[in-house]
Amino acid sequence: MSTATEVPRGALTHPDIQSLEEVNRDVLRPLGRPGKGWWALLGLCIAGIGLLGYSWSIQIFQGIGVTGLTSPVGWGVYITTFVFWVGIAHSGTLISAILFLFRAPWRQSIYRAAEAMTVFAVMTAGLFPLIHVGRVWHAYWLIPYPNSRFLWPNFRSPLVWDVFAVTTYFTVSAVFFYLGTIPDLAAARDGAIGLRKKLYKVISLGWRGTDREWHHFGKAYIFLAALATPLVLSVHSVVSWDFAVSIVPGWHATIFAPYFVAGAIFSGVAMVITLTVPLRKAFRLEAYLTTKHYDAMAKLCLLTSMIVFYAYLSEFFMAWYSGEEVERAAFWERLFGPYWWATWTMLVCNGMVPVMLWFKRVRYSIPALFAISIFVNIGMWFERYVIIVTSLHHEYEPFAWGVYRPSTVEMGIMVGSFAWFGFWFLLFTRLLPPVAIAELKEVLPTPMRPKATAGSVGQRGER
Amino acid sequence: MTDGLKRRDFLKVLGASGAGAGVMGCSTEKVERLLPYVVPPEEVTPGVATWYATVCGECEAGCGMWVRTREGRVVKVEGNPEDPVSEGALCSRGHSSLQALYNPDRFTGPMLRQGEQLQPISWEEAEQMLADRLGAAGDYYLFTGSTGATLAGLMSDFAGATGGQVVRYDPLAEAPLREASRIAFGRDVVPWYDLEEARFLVSFGADFLESWLSPVRDGRGFARMSGVDENGGKGRFAFVGSRLSLTGQNADEWLPIQPGSEALVALAMANVVSGGGGNAGPYRDIVAAYTPENVAGVTGVDAESIRELGQLFADGPSLALGPGVAGLHRGATAANVAVAILNSVAGNVGRTVHYDAPQLSAPSAGVAPMEEAIEAMRSGRVGAALVHGSNPAYALPASSGFREAFASVPFKVSFASAMDETAASADLILPDRHFLESWGDASSRPGKWAVQQPAMRPVPHFDSKQTGDVLLSVATRMGEGFGSETFYDHLRTRWADLAVAAGAADAEAFWHETLRTGVAQVGTTPSGSAEALRQPDRGLVFDPPAFDGAGDLHLMVYPSARYGDGALNANRPWLQELPDPVSKITWHSWVEMHPNRAEALGVRNGDVVVLSTEHGSIEAPVWTYPGIREDVIAVPMGGGHTSAGRFADGNGVNALDLLPTESEVLSGGLVHFVTKVDVAPTGRRRPLATIAGSDVQSNRPISPAVALASLGSETGGAEEGEHGPLKELQGVGGFVPVETDGRPEAFPLAGAQHGEYGDEETPRWSMAIDLDKCTGCSACVTACQAENNVAWVGESQVTMGRDMGWIRLERYYETVEASHAGPVDVRFLPMICQHCGNAPCEPVCPVFATYHTPDGINTQVYNRCVGTRYCLNNCPYKVRVYNWYTYTDEEPVREGLGHIPEPLNWQLNPDVTVRENGIMEKCSFCIHRIRKHQDRAAVEGSSIVDGQVVPACQQSCPAEAIVFGNIRDTRSRVALASHGERAYRVLDELINTQPAVTYLKKVTFHEVESGEH
Repeated sequence: MSTATEVPRGALTHPDIQSLEEVNRDVLRPLGRPGKGWWALLGLCIAGIGLLGYSWSIQIFQGIGVTGLTSPVGWGVYITTFVFWVGIAHSGTLISAILFLFRAPWRQSIYRAAEAMTVFAVMTAGLFPLIHVGRVWHAYWLIPYPNSRFLWPNFRSPLVWDVFAVTTYFTVSAVFFYLGTIPDLAAARDGAIGLRKKLYKVISLGWRGTDREWHHFGKAYIFLAALATPLVLSVHSVVSWDFAVSIVPGWHATIFAPYFVAGAIFSGVAMVITLTVPLRKAFRLEAYLTTKHYDAMAKLCLLTSMIVFYAYLSEFFMAWYSGEEVERAAFWERLFGPYWWATWTMLVCNGMVPVMLWFKRVRYSIPALFAISIFVNIGMWFERYVIIVTSLHHEYEPFAWGVYRPSTVEMGIMVGSFAWFGFWFLLFTRLLPPVAIAELKEVLPTPMRPKATAGSVGQRGER
Repeated sequence: MTDGLKRRDFLKVLGASGAGAGVMGCSTEKVERLLPYVVPPEEVTPGVATWYATVCGECEAGCGMWVRTREGRVVKVEGNPEDPVSEGALCSRGHSSLQALYNPDRFTGPMLRQGEQLQPISWEEAEQMLADRLGAAGDYYLFTGSTGATLAGLMSDFAGATGGQVVRYDPLAEAPLREASRIAFGRDVVPWYDLEEARFLVSFGADFLESWLSPVRDGRGFARMSGVDENGGKGRFAFVGSRLSLTGQNADEWLPIQPGSEALVALAMANVVSGGGGNAGPYRDIVAAYTPENVAGVTGVDAESIRELGQLFADGPSLALGPGVAGLHRGATAANVAVAILNSVAGNVGRTVHYDAPQLSAPSAGVAPMEEAIEAMRSGRVGAALVHGSNPAYALPASSGFREAFASVPFKVSFASAMDETAASADLILPDRHFLESWGDASSRPGKWAVQQPAMRPVPHFDSKQTGDVLLSVATRMGEGFGSETFYDHLRTRWADLAVAAGAADAEAFWHETLRTGVAQVGTTPSGSAEALRQPDRGLVFDPPAFDGAGDLHLMVYPSARYGDGALNANRPWLQELPDPVSKITWHSWVEMHPNRAEALGVRNGDVVVLSTEHGSIEAPVWTYPGIREDVIAVPMGGGHTSAGRFADGNGVNALDLLPTESEVLSGGLVHFVTKVDVAPTGRRRPLATIAGSDVQSNRPISPAVALASLGSETGGAEEGEHGPLKELQGVGGFVPVETDGRPEAFPLAGAQHGEYGDEETPRWSMAIDLDKCTGCSACVTACQAENNVAWVGESQVTMGRDMGWIRLERYYETVEASHAGPVDVRFLPMICQHCGNAPCEPVCPVFATYHTPDGINTQVYNRCVGTRYCLNNCPYKVRVYNWYTYTDEEPVREGLGHIPEPLNWQLNPDVTVRENGIMEKCSFCIHRIRKHQDRAAVEGSSIVDGQVVPACQQSCPAEAIVFGNIRDTRSRVALASHGERAYRVLDELINTQPAVTYLKKVTFHEVESGEH
């Protein structure tokens, strides 16, 4: 853990924060009584979850045929949305673990929200393999468990790798997330009353903020960060192998792992922007989530956007350069076939709109960033849709070509997945400190005696 | 079971049905007590099939059939290898007859109309009523369709004795052909064609592969003729017609003639063959007048093409097949005469066409007697009308007025076993039995007799009675006995005579032998001898006939390749969902038009257009087809049922409603190609329920061909379409050749570590499909569906692309040009699971639901399948089909989806699992048949010999295009075929899948462009 050094106030990461006490007050304020807006959003999310449950139960009771899936397009909106959420899940760990190891000074304000987003996004993504399979009641067969018939999953199948990758990622990111919140939970506990106090008491594991505790906490945190770092790269690489390992033209490409990881970071950072802009506004956290933070995220977006766009171009180039009829036709179809609109949406949203991030004024404009992040979210969903659907619909066997149109059930489940994610995120905003108090205080200037008489007393959660 | 008496009762009941191989199923008494199956009847071993020989009652051809029964239920029909017509093969319609047997819409018993409702009555009452009413009726009509010989005789006798008149109506009757035979050679017969003997075949619109005389036999003969032989010889086939039917798509040349001008082309060819009419006898002057140059303008075909064709025809042995019913126009008889002249001048009579050994024994009058009957009914002179084996209310154009005239008859009786449009207005229903439940016989050519025997007890859901029995009983009640109590006795009496005719010493032994083999030879087939053309006794006009109406679009209403006229066989999901061999459309009707015509009209595939003539109008979606002339619009028969049952009603339109009821002047046949039509877009769309994703190969090595000229040469066919050695990018840069010792017998791959593989002694099951022989008839598709319990899914599902056929019969256009005469090249390819040695589907399955057996079969373990569908995505051949819903429940999961209502489920093959929602499936190489033979060999201590294991598709293929066996046995037929010059494996060179299915390239007469696949 770094210690803050003396810096002029103008060069500070959070120039508007006057005191450490203010941090506690501001960050813990949302944990109070929620307003009507919050309840309305929660109600909306619960309705969405109802839609998800209803749609899914139709599918379970009638059959997977209620989707628009067909031969030759065996995967559609479900896998698209699965990859989308896994991608979203990416940036949380990237921001918290990798940026932590690299000591990036701008992570403290956003990493809590990003990590929460990660955990909830994996929880959302994890639904989709279940939703997607034809016989969900047998889905546990993908998990290696001892059984009397010695039947094991097929370890050569990328889908089994997926099971491992996603469950591992969920476990590690959930533990990492929880561990990071412990000091803050203790801070919340100290201010809370009644049932809430009991809850925070239990989940803060009796944190007292002793030196010994901080020592262990720091070690554990850095170990977990180190453990999570390779996962950031591996989980989406493995997801990309779902496609790259196959022989489907448009899927079978060695570029897929880095391409998917970059895309995941791209979409994840965009989602952090999308989520934190309203959060910042609603909870008046402008002092904590400053334009500098958004500038840093925008730069990361810009970088990954360029990587992703380069990957698009290289795919098209390689298809042409290969001279292979089937490969060429697949990519020609991608641009000009029945799904041209999806492809061009992807290219515009992911490759062209983020070009605006080259301008500093755009990077420092919160509304502009918010709008761009929405474009990127849409574009990244379509990227997966394009990869999955356009490749499958136009494969080797011309007589078997076909077209897939998503059904209302699929759209219902997709929309429901956003509600499911939103539900958890809304609970998060009211139950956990949305900004990491303890870590934030590390980067604030050390309180000076004249000013700090009131501020440093009774802050048991601080260091 | 300690009580001996009960056991004896039990045996008595079984003994009654088990006395002879054939007696099984003829008894109607019901077992009153439930008795356990302690002592099984001798001929029923649980788990072992019993086979019966019978004859198919679906069409006039009368193919010999073997019926497979399991535990007393018919589960599959196959061709009888000992039958000279089918030679073991069977068409889709024959296979689908099982769905008529178990048709859930069959009448549950005799019914009497009371008001609007049909009320059940007893057979006793019904027969007495029929006897009473017929006795009082005075004149009555008995309408019939195609029936067995003895039943037809009984009907005539019955009608004769009771004051009735038999009218036989078959809308697809070859009346012009018969009449032309009579005019040309003085023989009122349908001649016997020997396609196999010909080296050059010309079809003047005769669709012999789909709806003409005997599709299975002719399909086999054609494949033997046109398939390339070991010496590189190959028969040639030219199609003359305005629309390419399935038969036309198999041609090497196509002459897209002006509608109705077949006669001119035939005469001009005769002119070339005979050198100006020299040997045309009484027709010398006519033939001399029609030179190729003279007819070029009217026919729309250049003189040079006709001349070339004529010269090839003269080289012989050749055969011209007369215009069939697909283009039955006002000059059809004259056109048939012209073709007879052509055959005669080329010396084919007695060589490839035999007038003295005809086929189709039953007389097929045209529509003329029916017109008289309609007139009589309308005038009120008819007291009763009986309908058996036909559905004239559907199969006659609405303009005929049959429905109204029939409705005006005071007493209408239908013998239909299930509801149809005619039975819908009947007063009394006396449901007949299905031919698999009843006795009968058939003689499809002189001297050849086949017995129809019941293969099972009547399906117990339906209280049916054979019409022969009803007629005998009614005759007795009317005091007109025929000396037999039952139709079985009547048949035996007839066959006692046949035994004498056959020179059999013991009539009983002759009968039993016929029951066993299914066919008998009675007398000898007359030997072929040339016959001379006779002076015509009727006026013949060879010029193209006039078409009614204005405009330039000729309406062709043609018999469906699946249903024929569809009058009685449309209520079968297998047929409804079988993709039409030409259009690949299922379930609904369509309007065929040339793409240029569609463009001019501003419509595309799936746009609904309205066709109207002065007789009526229909609406159907457009299907653009380059194989039809721009001035012709074609609509298939078989759709538009209103009361044929749950699977047929409401699908498509009945195109006959556009036609006048007009008989051809000379023969009396109903004309189908007689009027022009107006086409107008409606602005609505209806996506086609088609399985065709693309009509062209898009430059991929799916179905390559080789020119006949380059066969056998070193640089010839085998090289065409190959990309050179497969290469792989190395990690350190550069490409290295990949080891592709992809011979199917080399399975498993060198270095393969996963899975259990047998040693060299283990067979590798493999298949070879000769695309030069495959005619695209799709019999294999239905055979597979019947054998493997493949579900039908319903129209909405097919439209989405969810058809479940394990065989996808692909059809690619290479050269199809309707504007002028020239080569035609359509490629058919039955695409099944390739059982790849290096299968892309296997590694991606997370739960090992698909894996390799030691003998090289890519299997699918249904129980283990979770339904991730990754294997479907990764299968380059897209042969895996997925159960998007449970299509096998008794009730459909959703409206319009596939389901198996009782008693259709009786057909299910007990050897094959019935699949449910969420499971992937695909061709299994009929693994249950392989295992059955392996088990038997293991028990007997023998080994499987080549050719013993026959999958359902191969068994059914009329073209003998499929060979199956162990490719590791170097002397097996499949090994020999797979190592031939024409052998290739689809996409193997591209993705190294190493399939076990080898295709043999189609051989063309025209040059195949190099680089073209």
